[in-house]
Amino acid sequence: MSKEMIICDNVSKTFETSRGDVNVIGNVSLTVNENELLVLFGPGQCGKSTLLNCMSGLERVTTGSVTINGRTIDSPGPDRGVVYQRTALFPWLTVMGNVEYGPKVRGMSKSERREKAQYYINLVGLEGFENSYPNQLSGGMQQRVGIARAYCNEPDVLFMDEPFGHLDAQTRYLMQEDLIKIWEKEKRTVVFVTNNIEEAVYLADRIAVLTNCPTTVKTEYEINLPRPRDYIDPEFLRLREEISSVVDKAL
Amino acid sequence: MTGRNLKGISKYKKIYAAVISIFVFLCIWQLAVMFTDVGIVMVGPIEVIKLFFVSMVKPIGHDTIQMHIVWSLSRVMTGFVIGSALGVVLGILMGWFRPMNALFRPIYEIIRPIPPIAWIPLSIVWFGIGEPSKYFIIFLAAFSAITMNAFAGVRAVDPELIGAARMLGANNRQVFTTIVLPSCVPHIFAGLQIAIGSSWATVVAAEMVRASQGVGWVIIRGQDSNSTVQIMVGIVAVGIVGFALAVLMRWIEAKLCAWNVRGR
Repeated sequence: MSKEMIICDNVSKTFETSRGDVNVIGNVSLTVNENELLVLFGPGQCGKSTLLNCMSGLERVTTGSVTINGRTIDSPGPDRGVVYQRTALFPWLTVMGNVEYGPKVRGMSKSERREKAQYYINLVGLEGFENSYPNQLSGGMQQRVGIARAYCNEPDVLFMDEPFGHLDAQTRYLMQEDLIKIWEKEKRTVVFVTNNIEEAVYLADRIAVLTNCPTTVKTEYEINLPRPRDYIDPEFLRLREEISSVVDKAL
Repeated sequence: MTGRNLKGISKYKKIYAAVISIFVFLCIWQLAVMFTDVGIVMVGPIEVIKLFFVSMVKPIGHDTIQMHIVWSLSRVMTGFVIGSALGVVLGILMGWFRPMNALFRPIYEIIRPIPPIAWIPLSIVWFGIGEPSKYFIIFLAAFSAITMNAFAGVRAVDPELIGAARMLGANNRQVFTTIVLPSCVPHIFAGLQIAIGSSWATVVAAEMVRASQGVGWVIIRGQDSNSTVQIMVGIVAVGIVGFALAVLMRWIEAKLCAWNVRGR
């Protein structure tokens, strides 16, 4: 029924290092539908981020191919947005400067891009902080800037690489809740990487469980719970339990 | 514990403490000169300060002390500005373009460890005894410190930021101008800080070898005329101006790099 947005076809990735080749991604075939929120869930260090980087074009695949919207991905590009674990905000730019960066380098006029950036700054709840520098903001607020910056380029797909991994538990819950609100308002295809099962079940339309390195897709779960989800709903807890028992133990 | 206590001290208390520490130092110095054998080889601070103020109206040689300072500063600024500009450009080019690094790095690495004052005799042969030879020495002093820091700054750019910029649609030129250049500014400032210090030290040395004005000349002229107090006046001027230059550089850095932790 819905369109296939991202297609990973037999993707593998091997890094050449001084100690020989390291095979990080085994053989992954995966599709992500338009406006779907897919969570890549797996143990720590299993290659989730590498798989995400292959999908976004930051890394090149060794074999196989990634296509987004019918186009083969082999380099970074503004049709894809990335939210990073370590935020990767430009520290010398203000919140406004960071959010409008994408449209600016792509040549959008100042008034147009300011208006657009303001819309996304408001969307993530940072109205009034436009002129603050990243180091003046809390971790949660910095990640909101990261989300607004990725959204502001109006990409087809958004890749989120453990964006809440560095936040404290309380902020993390709040950010998960707000991310769903933002996403429901501005639907995009999202691939979200996490090693936190609670986060995975809370956010996902579908969870792809990954194995240890070299990673492959072990199994997939459709999560059909209504939103907003309740962390202590019996069905939520059952899914959490079931998926936890399937995933490999981190080394 | 100590860290917290130090942080708790207000700006005014710090200034207060500095004034007291300098005052006590001067007192001990004065007393030592008056009541011990130190007085044979040293003059007391009262005499030095007196001559310092006297020389602000009554010239040493052809110029008052502030004019000597201006002479030295103008030499420093000429060499420093040219050296910094070229150093920033060369350092960034070596950092960003690998062929530039392969070409210039070996020459630079051999020239870098030579202390600027070692060039004084050659620079007099090349540029004569006038101003250009001093500019050249100071140019070398500023240039090597800044080239190294600008180079290190480019090499230290976070690859994740470059990736993020490309992901947002920046092309190579835009990555260079909007990511690489701003992110090496703190490194460049660290280099400028070192360079202004070594330029100032070098100008004094250069003037001691060959000049007819400037603070280095005041010191060497004091030696020639057996005037310890004039030597001390020169040294005090060197210290005060060097300190002021460092404070000024830090102030400019804090203004321009408010986004950076270093600058706060």
